[in-house]
Amino acid sequence: MLKEFLTDICQTQFVSGFEHINGDKLIKYFEPYTDTYEKDKVGSYIFKAGGTNNAKIMLSAHIDEIGLMITKVLDDGFLSFTQVGGINPASLIAQDVIIYGRENVFGVIGIKPPHVTLAEDRDKTVPLDELYIDTGYPKEILEKLVTVGDVATVKRELVSLQDDVVAAKALDDRACVAVMLETAKELKKISHKSNIYYTCSAQEETGYRGAITASYKINPDIAIALDVTFGKAPEMGSEVPQLGKGPAVCLGGRFNPKLTKKFIDTCNNYNYPFQYEVAPAATGTDTEGIQINREGVPCILLSIPLRYMHTSVETISLKDVEITGRAIARFINELDNSDLEEILCF
Amino acid sequence: MFLKELTELSGVSGNEYEVRNYIKNKLKEIGCEFYVDKLGNVIAHNKGKKNKKIMVAAHMDEVGLIVSHIDSDGFIKFQAVGGIDQRVLNSKVVTIGENKINGVIGSKAVHLMKGEEREKSIPIDKLYIDIGTDSKSETEKLVNIGDYVTFKSDYVEFGEDLIKAKALDDRAGCSALLELLSMKLDADFYGVFTVMEEVGCRGAQTAAYSLDPDFSIVLEGTVSADMPEIKDHSKVTSIGKGAAISLMDSSTLYDINEVRKVERIAVENNIPYQLRKSSAGGNDAGPIHKTKDGSKVVAISVPCRYIHSSVNVASINDYNSVVQLAKLVILDNQKGE
Amino acid sequence: MNYNSELMRKLSDCFSPSGRENNIRELIINEIKGYADEINVDALGNLIVRKKGNGKKILFSAHMDQIGLIITHVDEKGFLRFSNVGGISAKEILGLRMIFDNGLEGVVCSEEIKDKEKITMNKLFLDVASTSKDFVKNNFKTGDMCVFKSEYYETDDCVICRAADDRIGCYILIEALKNHPSTDNDVYYVFSVQEEVGCRGAKTAAYQINPDLAIAVDVTDTGDTDNGTKMDVKLGEGAAIKIMDKYIITHPEIKNLLTDLAIEKNIKYQYEVLEHGGTDAGPIHLSREGVPSGAISIPTRNIHTSGEIFSKSDVLECIKLVIEVIKK
Repeated sequence: MLKEFLTDICQTQFVSGFEHINGDKLIKYFEPYTDTYEKDKVGSYIFKAGGTNNAKIMLSAHIDEIGLMITKVLDDGFLSFTQVGGINPASLIAQDVIIYGRENVFGVIGIKPPHVTLAEDRDKTVPLDELYIDTGYPKEILEKLVTVGDVATVKRELVSLQDDVVAAKALDDRACVAVMLETAKELKKISHKSNIYYTCSAQEETGYRGAITASYKINPDIAIALDVTFGKAPEMGSEVPQLGKGPAVCLGGRFNPKLTKKFIDTCNNYNYPFQYEVAPAATGTDTEGIQINREGVPCILLSIPLRYMHTSVETISLKDVEITGRAIARFINELDNSDLEEILCF
Repeated sequence: MFLKELTELSGVSGNEYEVRNYIKNKLKEIGCEFYVDKLGNVIAHNKGKKNKKIMVAAHMDEVGLIVSHIDSDGFIKFQAVGGIDQRVLNSKVVTIGENKINGVIGSKAVHLMKGEEREKSIPIDKLYIDIGTDSKSETEKLVNIGDYVTFKSDYVEFGEDLIKAKALDDRAGCSALLELLSMKLDADFYGVFTVMEEVGCRGAQTAAYSLDPDFSIVLEGTVSADMPEIKDHSKVTSIGKGAAISLMDSSTLYDINEVRKVERIAVENNIPYQLRKSSAGGNDAGPIHKTKDGSKVVAISVPCRYIHSSVNVASINDYNSVVQLAKLVILDNQKGE
Repeated sequence: MNYNSELMRKLSDCFSPSGRENNIRELIINEIKGYADEINVDALGNLIVRKKGNGKKILFSAHMDQIGLIITHVDEKGFLRFSNVGGISAKEILGLRMIFDNGLEGVVCSEEIKDKEKITMNKLFLDVASTSKDFVKNNFKTGDMCVFKSEYYETDDCVICRAADDRIGCYILIEALKNHPSTDNDVYYVFSVQEEVGCRGAKTAAYQINPDLAIAVDVTDTGDTDNGTKMDVKLGEGAAIKIMDKYIITHPEIKNLLTDLAIEKNIKYQYEVLEHGGTDAGPIHLSREGVPSGAISIPTRNIHTSGEIFSKSDVLECIKLVIEVIKK
């Protein structure tokens, strides 16, 4: 079920700023577990599961993904493009892509062959403006299919690796959208008192813009932000969170210490594995916008360890998604049964 | 056309058995006599009218990777088999070994790279394959040192008449040769599906030795730099402009009279063709024309963009031109006096 | 409608770098009074001009400020050290004439530097052409600002001037206001401050107005010069409808609205994808719960120099598009 969800949602286009096109898919998945939804003015989808008290808890995971945007239709079927969000050009070479134009257009990104490549150039990355999408159409036809401003993504189906490990594009941050869905399913089973707002935030990759306006709209008492973090891979320090060992709980000034401790206590009490991660300042996640919304919002940040971030082979363990989803449901249950104001009081 | 099936098979140089088995089965279906030689070349014989001994060669192997080491956390290190530009490896899905274990090629996230590091492409020895295990012992249960690794890349038809696949170099040639053999031409020739072209044209050498042909045709997927901002004289070949006829490469000076004859046949039969405008690269023609007392040789190729990567691009029309031109060249060489 | 050279010349000639927008604000108020229902100046200095209506609240924004230099130090020899206000690069201003609000001038000079690539702002100074220390002391103070000295010039179809960024946007809004069509919409023409230092004015104006939709009118780069920026925008090819820049991805409804209006009303348009830079639409669209926003851009070459170049016909297309949005 979880894998099917991720297979479907990761293949679907949600490039920053273009989240509305496939929003129905989110509605389909979240509707069974929530009461109402709203699409906000920047493109976020907010699903509300009503409770019995006045507390408002915002969960936020961004639905958008990095992508490409067409800047020019060239001769002989080629397109030049720029990035939406931060893309490593090295990860684009020799990939299949889909351009979401008037219709979906297939293309590939190649590089020049050796005889026109200087030896020293092989050691360098190719800058974005020297890469092209090759569509195979004559310009006259291509111009009818693709317009400047259309977006494209790498074409990639989810790949199952060993155990519960999967690789796909856009697992940053669909893995966490999956976490929210897991939480929603868990909470549906028990009666929760707080009002839960599952926010599939828009435009995180271009500056957590969706989280800024969504949190203004929701005006939550607390927020649980969900994102991915670098998972342990070769050449990384021993402090880096590993795949399959549970969510990384982020510690630092952006996060409410007592709320964070409450989450850790919950994990310890109910045997949910977790790991630590430290962020002394900016995290580049939705918390940047949410924490300083209106009068301020106490936040915690939980991250799913992910390898090869911002490539088309982002790799995670499904186990981490399941653990995190359940741990959050339990955490919310714990909050429901404690005095939130007291927890938040410094 | 057998391009879809052929390009989806694994056949990294030295490990061509999947391609070989497919070709053997096809030859049986066609009803064509063949044998497999000591290196693994498949040598088929189309019997017919005969003036001279003709060998038509296409290589079965493709570039790929080979597992060289499994590290303590279960990540797989590898080396390149054949000429692979390190820049095409980033973020690819691959399959490993006979059990087709899925893996992805990973590297340090760009966020974690320092300024200068970002400018550099990642050398092969810094890349690794991740199969989702978290220990050496777990990986070792599934993958052995020496396992061959192939890109996972679907065959896709796109644009007006283009195809994208891995290994068009030289499954395009294999497919063309299978088509020629299935035509049952009344012209005698040996169709040779060679091994290990990408690592030094090893198979072609022994096949040429045992056949000792008078005239040879090499069917290839060749380089095309038909891309934006590349000057015409550097394009080598252009996609959609027809079959490419070689004049010279690093291993062969093609017999100019034979080349002109092929050109003439193309013109007379309205087959689009182009001359391959570069002296770089090499193929099976190298050993073939130099073995024993030598052989006249021509190379007729399908232009491929992004060759030696997982996304070769070629034109179906060009491919058909190659098949047609090769057919007519064979017939012309064996026609009665 | 014809292009009004005199108005644009006045707007371009007006001295008003970021944070010192008083001159231009006065000029615009004089130009538009009589056409507006309400004229307000907010805490940051934004000029907010309203044409009342009972329908949708539409915010248009063009920024009044221009880039310049701020004097950081007057040295004992009578040379002025400075820092940039807005996007001015040290590598591009050597030898340029700068002018102050009081009409005095200076020229940008450099310390002795062999490798011109290594020029930085703190190696540059302004020589105000006087050997009299008293003259310098009496006329220049730390904190004074200066802007490019540049004369307005035009051909039949194009204009070269300073501060087309974004006086041409101001021009377009002034002309739209003067030709304000009858509509139910509640329209706010915002002449914003401090765009060049981070779109600061637009942020507070948007919060105050809390509009239903917003359109910034500003200049954009072009890709039609030799070996220039790789983008599809060309001078003379009409109003540029922004799709994306560093600060905003245009809301799909706004993109469609502008495109449909342009097609329907036969207004020449092109799409703009700008890889660097942004406009007032950035902060506006993130105000409060968010505001569906976009931008109409005037294709302009050589932005942030003393000679910015735009096409008169593009300006007229932009005005038409603004007026159609107001009517809608």
